[in-house]
Amino acid sequence: MSYAYLFKYIIIGDTGSFVSPISPFQIWVGKSCLLLQFTDKRFQPVHDLTIGVEFGARMITIDNKPIKLQIWDTAGQESFRSITRSYYRGAAGALLVYDITRRETFNHLASWLEDARQHANANMTIMLIGNKCDLAHRRAVSTEEGEQFAKENGLIFMEASAKTAQNVEEAFISTAATIYKKIQDGVFDVSNESYGIKVGYGGIPGTLGWKRWLNFSSRRVLQLKLLIFECFDSSNCVYRVSTLYCLLLLFL
Amino acid sequence: MHEADIHDLSDDADYAASQQQGSRSISRCGSDKRSEPSGAEVVFLKENVAIHPTQYASERIRGRLRLIKQGACLFMTWIPYKEIGSGGGAFGHSDARLSDKDRNLYSIRAVPVTDIRSIRRHNPTLGWQYVIVVLSSGLAFPPLYFYNGGVREFLATLKQHAVLVRSADDANLFLLNDFQDPLQRSLSSLELPRAVSVAPTSTSESSSSSSVSSERPEDGRSYSEYQKHGQKSNDPARDLSIQVLEKFSLVTKFARETTSHIFREIHSDNLNTNDRKNQAPIVSNSNNDVDNSGLESASTESFVAADPIEKPSCRKDISAVKKLPLQWGVLSLFIFDKMTLVWGKPRQSPLGTEEWVTFLDAEGRILDSKDLRKRIFYGGVEHQLRKEIWKILLGYHDYDSTYAEREYLSSMKKVEYKALKRQWKSISVAQAKKFTKFRERKALIDKDVVRTDRSITFYDGDDNPNVMLLRDVLLTYSFYNFDLGYCQGMSDLLSPILFVMEDESEAFWCFVALMERLGPNFNRDQSGMHSQLFALSMLLELLDKPLHNYFKQKDCLNYFFCFRWVLIQFKREFHYEQIMRMWEVVWTHYLSEHLHLYACVAILKKHRKKIMGEEMDFDTLLKFINDLSGHIDLDAILRDAEALCVCAGENGAALIPPGTPPSLPLESNLLYSQQDEL
Ligand SMILES: Nc1nc2c(ncn2[C@@H]2O[C@H](COP(=O)(O)OP(=O)(O)OP(=O)(O)O)[C@@H](O)[C@H]2O)c(=O)[nH]1
Ligand SMILES: [Mg+2]
Repeated sequence: MSYAYLFKYIIIGDTGSFVSPISPFQIWVGKSCLLLQFTDKRFQPVHDLTIGVEFGARMITIDNKPIKLQIWDTAGQESFRSITRSYYRGAAGALLVYDITRRETFNHLASWLEDARQHANANMTIMLIGNKCDLAHRRAVSTEEGEQFAKENGLIFMEASAKTAQNVEEAFISTAATIYKKIQDGVFDVSNESYGIKVGYGGIPGTLGWKRWLNFSSRRVLQLKLLIFECFDSSNCVYRVSTLYCLLLLFL
Repeated sequence: MHEADIHDLSDDADYAASQQQGSRSISRCGSDKRSEPSGAEVVFLKENVAIHPTQYASERIRGRLRLIKQGACLFMTWIPYKEIGSGGGAFGHSDARLSDKDRNLYSIRAVPVTDIRSIRRHNPTLGWQYVIVVLSSGLAFPPLYFYNGGVREFLATLKQHAVLVRSADDANLFLLNDFQDPLQRSLSSLELPRAVSVAPTSTSESSSSSSVSSERPEDGRSYSEYQKHGQKSNDPARDLSIQVLEKFSLVTKFARETTSHIFREIHSDNLNTNDRKNQAPIVSNSNNDVDNSGLESASTESFVAADPIEKPSCRKDISAVKKLPLQWGVLSLFIFDKMTLVWGKPRQSPLGTEEWVTFLDAEGRILDSKDLRKRIFYGGVEHQLRKEIWKILLGYHDYDSTYAEREYLSSMKKVEYKALKRQWKSISVAQAKKFTKFRERKALIDKDVVRTDRSITFYDGDDNPNVMLLRDVLLTYSFYNFDLGYCQGMSDLLSPILFVMEDESEAFWCFVALMERLGPNFNRDQSGMHSQLFALSMLLELLDKPLHNYFKQKDCLNYFFCFRWVLIQFKREFHYEQIMRMWEVVWTHYLSEHLHLYACVAILKKHRKKIMGEEMDFDTLLKFINDLSGHIDLDAILRDAEALCVCAGENGAALIPPGTPPSLPLESNLLYSQQDEL
C-alpha cells in the first residue's frame, strides 16, 4: 500500500522480572498485547513470549496523509538488552511501557529511558504508557506519578489498557502526530533514514520522492547519476536512448 | 543453415580427432531418430556415455544419453543401464560395486535444454572426450564421458534445435540460450561498480579482526598462479563466471582440502577482471534460483553479485564422492578438473521401529553409533521412537548402554530429580519473602510457561497439568544450575522435550543434557551467542563472500538478525512436528556439531538474491527474516546445509573456534559468567 511516510516505532519495557511477593500473577507489562490490540484490534490473553523482536504494521491517517507505522516489539528480559539495543537504531518513536499494577516496572523506567537516549537518535519521540488501566483496583502507581515522570523527562504520557483497548489507538496515533509535526517543523531531514522516517510516494508531491531519490547515497544511484551526465554529454544518439531506457526500467 | 552449423563446429582443432574417434566407435547417433510412443521424438541418442563417480574403474556408470524433442521443447536425459546389461550396452559385466539404487541417483531425467547455461567440451590427449553441462541455476552435472565419441554430433544436434553459440574467447565452451540482448548487457554493466565494491580487497584491509590472518599470502599466491594460465586471462568475465560455476559445482574430498585456496582464487579472478578495465560484466543475469522462485524480475537479479558456489544441492550420496578420482586428474591442466560433484543426499524416510532394532545388539547396545547418527541425520526418527532415541542423541544415555543399564539409570535419576525438586518445593512463604532471587525466578518462569506453545494441544487450555510440569522442570533446573538460572528461551527448548518424554524426570535430564551444549546461549554476557554469530559470519564469508560483503557494507555484520534462529535452534521458525525433526538431525552431530550454523547459511543463501537485489538494510532484513518463520522448507534447508557443510569441509570446521556452542566448553569451570542478577 502506498504511504506518505513510514515511521518506525519500538516498544520497550520490562518483561516483568521484578515482582512483588504478594501478586505472583499478572506480572507482564503487556507490550505484545498492546501491539496486537493496535494492529488487529483484539486482545489475546495468551501470547507467546517474545524472543528477540517481533513486528507489526498498520496504516493510519494524519492530516489526510496515509502513514504507515512499522512497530518493533522487543523482548523485555534483561539478558536480551544487548540485542534489544541494536533495534533502537533508526526508530522515530518509542513506546515505553510499564504496568500500573506493578511498581517495579515503573521504578525500572529510568534505566530503559537511559538506554533509549543512549542508543536511539536524539529526536526520537517517546510515549510513556501506563498499561493495564483496566485493573485500576490493583493500581500500584498513581496517574500523577506517571504524569510527573513524563514531564520531568519530556515524554508524552497516557494510561491505556491492551485488554479493553482504552487509549491504545490514541497512544500510537498521538505519537505519530508528534513525529509528523516535527517533520512539518523541519526538525528532521526526512531524506536521512536514520531518523526512522521513510518518505513514500503516496500522497506526496512527486518532487519529494525525487528529492529523496537524489539524496539516496547508494553506489548504484551514484553510478546512475554519473550515467545521466554521461548520457547527456554523449553525442551517440543510440547510446543516449538506450541508457535512458535503462534508467526508466529501473525506476518505473 | 545446417551446413553452416556443421562448418562452424568443425573449424576447431579437435575436429579431426573426434572424427577419428567417431569412426572407430560403434555409435548409433545423430541421424538415428526413433519415435517414442508419447509423441516425443528422440533426435539424438548415444550409447555408452558414462560418468565416473570415483576413481575406481569398477564404479563407472554407463548409460544412454538422449535428446528428446517434445513439441517445441528439447530435453536432455541420461539414464544408467540396468546392472545386467539389458540397456543395449555391451558392457553388462562391470559396475558390480554400485547398486542400481546408487546408480540411479545420477540419472538425468529430462532436463529442458532451456535450463542449460553452458556446455564445456574437454578433449584430453589421453582418455575419453567428455563434456560438463552447467545449468542456469549454477548446478553442474558430473562429467559425461563419451566412450564411443560423439561429442561433436551431440553439439551439432543441440545447435539444430536450440540457440547454441560458441564462446568467442574459449573454443571449447558453448553457451546456450545466450540471447545477446544489448539492453540486458547495458543493464548489467551498470552493476560493475557494485561488483567492485563487494570485491574482497577492501575487506581484508578494513576487517582484519574478522578475517583469517593467513588470507593475504594465499591471495597473492593464487593470483600469480592465475596469471600463469595465460589463456584464461583473455576470457570475458561471463565465461569466467561459468568456469567458476563449473569448478564449484565439482567438489570432492580433494576439493575440500583445497576449498579455501580456490575460494581465494575466485576472488583474485574477480579482482583481476575488474582490474582489466571491465569490458564485460562479472555478474550474470541468467542465474535463476533452482527453487523456482526465480520469477523475480530480471532487473533485480542483474544487480546481485554472483553466488560463488550457487546451489550445490542435489541427490548424490556423499560417501561415493569421498574417494579421489585419479584417472584423469594427472592429465588435467587445472587442479579443479579433479573434482566430482557433491550432491546433498535426498532425505530419507524417518527411522522406524523395525530398522531401529537392527542398530541394536541383543542387550540393547548400539552397535555402531556413527552409523545410527548417519541414519538419523538423513531421515530423523519416527515419533514413537523419539522417547527412546532422543535420550541417547542428547547424551543422557550412552550409546553402549544396555536396556537394563538405561532403565537403571532412569530410576536412579528419578530419585535424584525428586531430591532436586524438593529443594525449592520446601521453601516456605516466610522463607520466600527473604529469598528475592527465588521469587523473581519463579515469577518469571510462571509467566513464561503460560506463554509457551499454548496453541499445541499438549499445552492448551486452562490449568493444563503439562504447563505445571514445564514450570516445575524449569524451576528445578534453575536450582540444579543455579549460576545460569532461568532465561527466556529455555521454555521453548524444553517444551518439545517434555512433549516427547511425557515424563517429568526424563524430560528434566534430557533438558540438562541439552543445556550442557546450549547453556552458553543464555550467558548473561551473551558470550555463547556472540561466538556462534561470529562463527556464522566466518562461515558465510567462506561460503558466500559477496553476501558477506553485502552485510558488511550494510553494517549488519553482527548477524543479530539470526539471533532467534541460533538462540533456540530454529524453534520459532518451524511447526512443532518439523522442529522435532530438525533438532534430532542437528543433535546427531554427524557431519558437524554446528549444522545449525550451516542451516543459517543455507537459508541466507537461498534468499541472497532478494536480500541484495532489494538492498535490504538491517531493519528490512530483520523483518524479512522474522517473516520467514513458518515458510522455510525444512528438507530443502537440511539438504543445502549438508551440502554446504561438505563443501566447506575442514576449512569450515577450522573457522569455528573451539568451544563454540554446542561444542562442549574448553574449561567447564568457566561455564557461566553470570552477574549477580536474577
Ligand atoms: N488485565 C490486563 N492484562 C493485560 C493487559 N496487557 C497485557 N496483559 C496480560 O499480560 C500478559 C503478557 O503480556 P505480553 O504482551 O505478552 O507481555 P510482554 O510485555 O510482551 O512480555 P515480553 O514479551 O516477555 O517482554 C498477557 O498474556 C495478558 O494476560 C491489559 O491491558 N490488561
Ligand atoms: Mg512480548
